[in-house]
Amino acid sequence: MQAFEWANAKTAADAVRLLGPGAAADYDETFRPIGGGQDLHTTLKAYIHRPARVVNLKTIPDAGKITVDGNSLILGATATLTEIETHPEVIRQAPGLAESIHSVATPQIRNFGTIGGNLCQRPRCWYFRLEEVKCLKRGGDTCYAKEGENKYLAAFGTDAPCVITKPSDPAQVLVALNAVVNVLGPKGERQINAGEFFRMPTTDDPRRENVLAADEIITSIRVPLGQLAAKSTYLKFKERESLDFAMASVAAAVDADGALTVRSARVVLGGVAPVPWALPAVDAFLAGETLDEATIARAAEMAIEGAKPLSQTRYKLPLVRTLVQRSLTKLARSILET
Amino acid sequence: MATTQPIKKKKIKVPQVVNGVPTEVEIEVDDVAGPTWGANDKHRLLNTRIPRSDGPAKTTGTAIYTFDVRLPDMQYGRFVVSKHARANIKSIDTSAAEKIPGVTAVVPFAKSVRYEGEPIVAIAAKTREAANDAVRAVVVEYEPQPFVVVAEDSMKPGAPQIFPPSNRRQVQGNADEVAAAFKDCDAVIDVEYRTKIMHHACLETHGVVVDYRGGDTATVYASTQGTFTVPGDASKAMGLKQSDVTCIVQHMGGGFGSKFGMGIAGLWGCKLSKQLGVPVKMMLTRRDEFLTGGNGPGSIQKMKAGATKDGTLVACHSIIHGLAGVGRANIAGQPYQYKATTFFREQTPVNTNEDASVAMRAPGFPQASFAIESLMDELAEKIGMDPVQFRIKNVTNESHKRQLLRGAEAIGWANRPAKAGSTPGHLKRGFGCGIGAWGGGGGPKCIVNLVIGRDGTVTAESGSQDLGTGTRTYVRAIVAEELGLGMNDVLEKIGSSKFGDANASGGSTTAASLAPAVKDAAFNARVALAKLVAPLLGAQPDAVTFENGKVLGNGKSLDWKQACMTVPAAGLSVQGQWQPGLSGNGAHGASFAEVEVDVETGHIRVVKMCHVQDGGLILNRLATESQINGGMIQSLGMALFEERVMDRRLGVMLNPNFGEYKLPGCLEMPELIPIIDDGDTREAVIGIAEPANIPGVGAVANAVYNACGVRVRDLPITPDKILNGLYPAKA
Amino acid sequence: MQSNGEPKPQGPITGVSRRSFLKSVGATALAADALATTAAPAADAPAAAAADPDGIVRGETSIQLTINGQARTVTVEPRTTLLSALRDRLEPALTGPKLVCDAGTCGACTVILDGKTAYACSLLAIDLPGRQITTVEGLGTPDKLSPVQAAFCEKDAMMCGFCTSGFVTSVTSLLRANPDPTPEQIREGCKGNFCRCGTFPHIFAAATAAAETIKKTGVKA
Repeated sequence: MQAFEWANAKTAADAVRLLGPGAAADYDETFRPIGGGQDLHTTLKAYIHRPARVVNLKTIPDAGKITVDGNSLILGATATLTEIETHPEVIRQAPGLAESIHSVATPQIRNFGTIGGNLCQRPRCWYFRLEEVKCLKRGGDTCYAKEGENKYLAAFGTDAPCVITKPSDPAQVLVALNAVVNVLGPKGERQINAGEFFRMPTTDDPRRENVLAADEIITSIRVPLGQLAAKSTYLKFKERESLDFAMASVAAAVDADGALTVRSARVVLGGVAPVPWALPAVDAFLAGETLDEATIARAAEMAIEGAKPLSQTRYKLPLVRTLVQRSLTKLARSILET
Repeated sequence: MATTQPIKKKKIKVPQVVNGVPTEVEIEVDDVAGPTWGANDKHRLLNTRIPRSDGPAKTTGTAIYTFDVRLPDMQYGRFVVSKHARANIKSIDTSAAEKIPGVTAVVPFAKSVRYEGEPIVAIAAKTREAANDAVRAVVVEYEPQPFVVVAEDSMKPGAPQIFPPSNRRQVQGNADEVAAAFKDCDAVIDVEYRTKIMHHACLETHGVVVDYRGGDTATVYASTQGTFTVPGDASKAMGLKQSDVTCIVQHMGGGFGSKFGMGIAGLWGCKLSKQLGVPVKMMLTRRDEFLTGGNGPGSIQKMKAGATKDGTLVACHSIIHGLAGVGRANIAGQPYQYKATTFFREQTPVNTNEDASVAMRAPGFPQASFAIESLMDELAEKIGMDPVQFRIKNVTNESHKRQLLRGAEAIGWANRPAKAGSTPGHLKRGFGCGIGAWGGGGGPKCIVNLVIGRDGTVTAESGSQDLGTGTRTYVRAIVAEELGLGMNDVLEKIGSSKFGDANASGGSTTAASLAPAVKDAAFNARVALAKLVAPLLGAQPDAVTFENGKVLGNGKSLDWKQACMTVPAAGLSVQGQWQPGLSGNGAHGASFAEVEVDVETGHIRVVKMCHVQDGGLILNRLATESQINGGMIQSLGMALFEERVMDRRLGVMLNPNFGEYKLPGCLEMPELIPIIDDGDTREAVIGIAEPANIPGVGAVANAVYNACGVRVRDLPITPDKILNGLYPAKA
Repeated sequence: MQSNGEPKPQGPITGVSRRSFLKSVGATALAADALATTAAPAADAPAAAAADPDGIVRGETSIQLTINGQARTVTVEPRTTLLSALRDRLEPALTGPKLVCDAGTCGACTVILDGKTAYACSLLAIDLPGRQITTVEGLGTPDKLSPVQAAFCEKDAMMCGFCTSGFVTSVTSLLRANPDPTPEQIREGCKGNFCRCGTFPHIFAAATAAAETIKKTGVKA
């Protein structure tokens, strides 16, 4: 970990101001905001981030508040994962979100890791994490994973110059539920749909995984509540149950009537692409269908139609098919029960 | 001058352990009657469940490990390590590192490197942070050389040579006989098994704290498996007399075969402490531990074996490669614990530009066991015989038959699906088994000094180390039992090279070497004290007995403290040595596993494991069960998770951390049933730590096949391999 | 044979501007030394910080942490982890929490922070003034073991013992929040802790036994 100076932000605007002077630096050397620091510790120690200043967001009053405001759940950016997953309204009104957060890492990490930090955590690609390798994401010119050891990496979107998977779990649910990420920067606030918050690696800029500028911070996340959120679920498959990132995961949400006729549905894959992998064709197919066994089987098949697995990620296809099938079946049962 | 009768001698075989790998040597010992243990079921403390004596220290965080030692003015050492798999070092610029405030030493020492992670420069600084900064500020200019880090690449013609060519091929058996025997076989299996290079993953990394502030003496706190493997090298490194260097190993955070001697961290800890005149802590970082702290060899085992319908293993042909990095690797010879009418084996190590393989818990045996146990299962299926029965027919040791039957009952073998993958639904159950054996004998090395103070205190001293196996506890228990005292009436002092000599902990030889010496010391103390006390009781010395804190004889009794008033002011001091009759050799075991495989996700859940283990006299049943559990859990890790992953183009290890080198954790734990085989009535101590680690991996692999019908011959057995087996790529 | 994928020759610290790196390190460490020799007492620390309008802390600074119920003063850099502060800087040190993975993946450094378990290797000490920090040393002593510590001894829930501090802490925290856990809840509560020797089944048994003791005696976990 390189030496840095420490600043406690008094307000969100103060945080933005404190981050400002670092914004022009090389991406890896920009000043960094810290929430729980559970991912930042790993990137600082691996010299991925080498900020000259770290700005503490937890000192911003109410930055971690969880509130239900009309039809929305508002998650302050520094709300800890434990606080969210145990919040009675989250469990009741957005069970998929609670499940996704419960699936994260370990109790110790969830106790201090924040929702904002979780969304911004850096990928776990082995090559990216090793300083010596200097991969594309660290300013080099090669993605070594594409032709290398890529078992845990992407099976979708692999035409991109970099084939990481997004390590966040709640990200998939937030995309599925059409959540909005509230961001503050020097030019003021902006609202970004969760589906647009994450970005695919591009040849021009393979290094960033989201649209935040270096002097922007997430202030909160607004999750629309309603039928979709109420019937949401998250299934995560880990190689090692105790502690692991997803080999594949799925967030599913279904708004259907008592006869299982689907009004709208969202299926978003995790652990298989550089971003939460939305499946608009599956969503469109499900709308208007009856969520029975045959429909679910068809949706599960459709889910893997666009896949382009790497040399070691073909196994993720049957896995995804299973997870989609199980998540939709679980939701269908749940709808029938209510 | 009185003439002495020459003492009769006899020759016996004992294990000799070099860097954790045991071989056998013949030695001559006195042929005299010494103490005996007595029947295994007649002990008051031994062979019962004894909580470990260092439990309170370990559970309260007050046990001080080497990594915890912090001395006044102590500085922090670190290495700059190679980022190339093979290179010549053209230049090293230390100037920037030296300018960092707090950095006190930057010492380059390497001219070339043979693997990523090989140390190049030693650094010391006043804070951990400054040491880390200095590591990054050193500028090393490399001249990269051709390298190879994958075994298959290394075996190709024209591959870069890591060592000058030498004939390290070992051959045993008769290939022609085997080839002829295949003609008579009803079933032949011809396959290749692979196990990966693994890591010991000791929670405490390798390293030392060296306290040499000038003068004639120095202390080396070391995380080592051999207290006495340190002072020799340390004294050379510091230019001191060996007797003036004390090695301290009070508590030790895991070794598993990787920690003999003081290693390169020890060497530089000594040099830096000498140079700076202050204590230096030189503990490897976790990443350096993966890169340069040793590893357990992998293997490629090409096996062809055949059996006849009656269940006889007729022929076994094996070509075995131990994957050794820049070290050596020996994989146990096949067909391991089975007898084959004919066999041939050829063994050649394969070297790569990776850190040297070293001993790892039963060196070379779990690898061999995985291959032969998988093979036995494949043959049993092909001839249509129950795998347990097929094994019973071909084992070389009778105890394995007893253990196989006992384990089969404990695991519920009767529930095993006769046909692989035949459980209805997507959650498929399966069962598997395997057997293992190991020496575990003791040898003459240990000296135990025992002092009974006039105040009744009893102290047993040995330089031996406790790796977590429970050494401290049985030292105390043996003495307490012999003297009729309670566990809290005896104090053990271990882990210092100023105490009595002791062997390094390798080959499961510690208990079988040390316990007899403790027994001998306690016996000698009892005899000596009986002599002193006898006149007070009016009894003959050999009629004096020790029970419940009392010394009895002639119908009278003294309590312990009264009896101890008879000892000299300096205390009653006796010594004990290893006695051949008190240790045995040959430990046998059988493991069973029940697993559940989700054939829609490839997830493998080990539901239950049991391991039946013999070991003669069990010193402490509780600690022995812990050891057996540990053996099963490490087997589970090897079977399902652990693997060192290299990038063949970059020459670097991709997963040098605990997030990506996956150890099994709480949610991976099956129901574990450790079974001590009390059918073994040998009244002798035998080490069991390594044997408990051998057969579980084959048991799990066989259970996975039985559950889902996918035979994974390349460890670890991960979900992707199961799914790729169930859903093969379309042509 | 030259490997194809060999990275192109590059400076020893890839992707860093060497000059800026050295400048920042040098400056910080220099400041560190200056501060170290005139180490300001804790009470003066806020005054020092107040010198900067934004309260920005650079280099070594003296902070006050509440550890095992006591106010403890320790000099840290902003980048000093809580674990390093406890083990390497606090006088006298607290070495119950172990440095093992240094990456939030093994649990050997687990402490209790405001009633919740945390990885001390993954927190910055400078972030923690005002928080209640409990290490394994704060739970009991060899002469007065806590119920969890006693149960670990009784069930032989340790071998080498290097993971033990972390497990004792996690189990204690679990039982304080849930005095009557199911076997699944015990596993879930400890899943952030790893053991290499293989003591897990005895740890689970110890957690169950400790829960029973607490229920019977009413002693705090």
